[in-house]
Amino acid sequence: MTRPRLSVTARLALLAVALSLLSNLALIGLIRHQAHGDAIDALRREVVEQADALGAVGRSGGAGALRRSIERTLDDADDPALVIAVVDRGGRRLAGAGPDRIAPPGRPLGFRIEALASADPWSQDAGYVVARAGPDWLLVGRLLDDRQLGERALERALALAALLSLALGVAAGLVLARYVGGRLDRIADVADRVAAGDLSRRVAMVADGRDAFDRLGGRVNVMLDRVERLMEELRLVTDSLAHDLRSPLARLRSHAESALGAPDGPPREAALASLIAETDLVMRMLATLLEISRSEAMSRDRLAPTDAAALIESIAELYAPAAEDAGLTFEVAVERAPAALPLHRELLSQAVANLLDNALAHAARGGGIVLRLTGGAEALTIAVEDRGPGIAVADRARALARFGRLDEARSRPGAGLGLALIAAVARFHGGRLELDDNAPGLIARIVIPRPATLDRADAAP
Amino acid sequence: MSRKILIVEDDVATGDYLAKGLVEAGFAVERAVDGRDGLYLASEAGFDLIVADRMLPGIDGLAMVSALRAAGVATPVLILSALATVDHRVDGLRAGADDYLVKPFSFAELSARVEALLRRRERAGGERTPSRLVVGDMEIDLLARTVTRAGRAIPLGTREFSLLEYLARNAGHVVTRTMMLEKIWNYHFDPGSNVVDVHIGRLRRKLEDGFPAPILHTVRGAGYRLSA
Repeated sequence: MTRPRLSVTARLALLAVALSLLSNLALIGLIRHQAHGDAIDALRREVVEQADALGAVGRSGGAGALRRSIERTLDDADDPALVIAVVDRGGRRLAGAGPDRIAPPGRPLGFRIEALASADPWSQDAGYVVARAGPDWLLVGRLLDDRQLGERALERALALAALLSLALGVAAGLVLARYVGGRLDRIADVADRVAAGDLSRRVAMVADGRDAFDRLGGRVNVMLDRVERLMEELRLVTDSLAHDLRSPLARLRSHAESALGAPDGPPREAALASLIAETDLVMRMLATLLEISRSEAMSRDRLAPTDAAALIESIAELYAPAAEDAGLTFEVAVERAPAALPLHRELLSQAVANLLDNALAHAARGGGIVLRLTGGAEALTIAVEDRGPGIAVADRARALARFGRLDEARSRPGAGLGLALIAAVARFHGGRLELDDNAPGLIARIVIPRPATLDRADAAP
Repeated sequence: MSRKILIVEDDVATGDYLAKGLVEAGFAVERAVDGRDGLYLASEAGFDLIVADRMLPGIDGLAMVSALRAAGVATPVLILSALATVDHRVDGLRAGADDYLVKPFSFAELSARVEALLRRRERAGGERTPSRLVVGDMEIDLLARTVTRAGRAIPLGTREFSLLEYLARNAGHVVTRTMMLEKIWNYHFDPGSNVVDVHIGRLRRKLEDGFPAPILHTVRGAGYRLSA
């Protein structure tokens, strides 16, 4: 079953109308209650009683008795504002005091307040009733005095105010609904366009981010930024994969072909061995890519308090023999060993291992590698310093990009993912990877801010 | 009596490949194609080892391991998975798996790990933890942490000793580089360079220099083997 539903905008408008009407009516009611006098009520009672009494005289004594009674009453009262008259069917006055002619009544009229005729003094408002008097009409009434007129004006003004408040309420409701609807539509419009594939759309700020709609839009924008970045990452991964898996796969294929054509024995085994080695290379590329992509989407609860010095010493212990065999001096320097802080032991170890691999591959023979851990108050720094050719300032950004190998020939195995993974690991820890000049050589530095400084930054206004 | 291995793998090609290799290596093999069957078989028949894919229809591999462990079945489980990141591996081991191998893998790697798991189980079921390991003319004193070969003391560093102990516990069988990285260094990633080989090279020089017979052998395409 479907219920007819009003749009949110319409409901919002109705709500605004109802609320404004309610508050205005409450106010009007209060004023009326406070200012209400009994002058009009007294007039009504007097007029109705007099009409009843004269009507009774007319019915029992006939037209003559009625006219006499009217004359007497008028004489007694001696009040020019008093109206007591017998009028005929056409509205002409036959007897008594009052306007010469009134609009033909046609039927008995209950108490009402309006002008009896256009000629002065009867153009003023009068309270009157009209009752039957045989074939004619009995008109009983009184011109309103100042107090009654004031009261009447107030009543009118209040009625007008109620009407006006209804109209204003509707207008305000429409304006409000239009405004809210418009602001929401801007956000919905962005969402629609993003859903349709245009990821670059963002919600424009209307009030410099200070109101609730802007805050909502801001959140949506932050979310879209992250979605776009992840999509971009994904696109980059697939593009690079398609592009960069080509060469190792081509080599793989040529190794397989030469194995196929090679005579049995050592030549064939050699070809098969290089085929396996090439396969391992492709697999390592894939594993690293996965690790990068995952680290960008991973939540920080993977971090556990870790002794950074122990982590560094452990990875150094693994690499020291390899460095020495390569004819390099290998030095581990731990300066101001930091207290345990939340780190991803495996990922960070892998990042440092990649830095050391790079240093091993590029360090000049006879030179040295320094693995330096510096625990400061603000940040933890892990640096690998080598004496190789270094990376020119202009090439550093490219070195950090995925697959960005600087030796274009790609003759040497190595996927070129190393620095990208290290940068991703640093980002995952809320830090960054810096490349610097070791004059000569390269300093690659993973800088991880201490959580305490993060907390302080958060707490700052 | 040949040892029984249960393969739980939904991909038929991989399952065939595993079964063929393990049968050739002398194991009796049974197969299940989803987690439910695997769980049922594993809790009924007495297997020596379970090789299970991580992503299975029905119950996935890790849930199957958890269910087995909750039911008190202690059969060692080796998880195979295409989920290759460090966290995936660590999660797998945390879920109660005894070992975790990433697809695609070389059969040599799988077979080395299967053998190591089975030996560990047999050791655990057998006599008390030995205080001495003997491989040919080499003796390893696990309490004093000393090594002698043909009566001559060989001084080793801490890490070298751990490496030798691990190789000796698996004496006669292949130990791969990744197994050593995982067990000795507790790293679940693959370093690009040949760092483990360099460690083995140093250990080999200490163990073999001045002795007529080699004792630490390289197995091409697989890893290393300690045997007389």
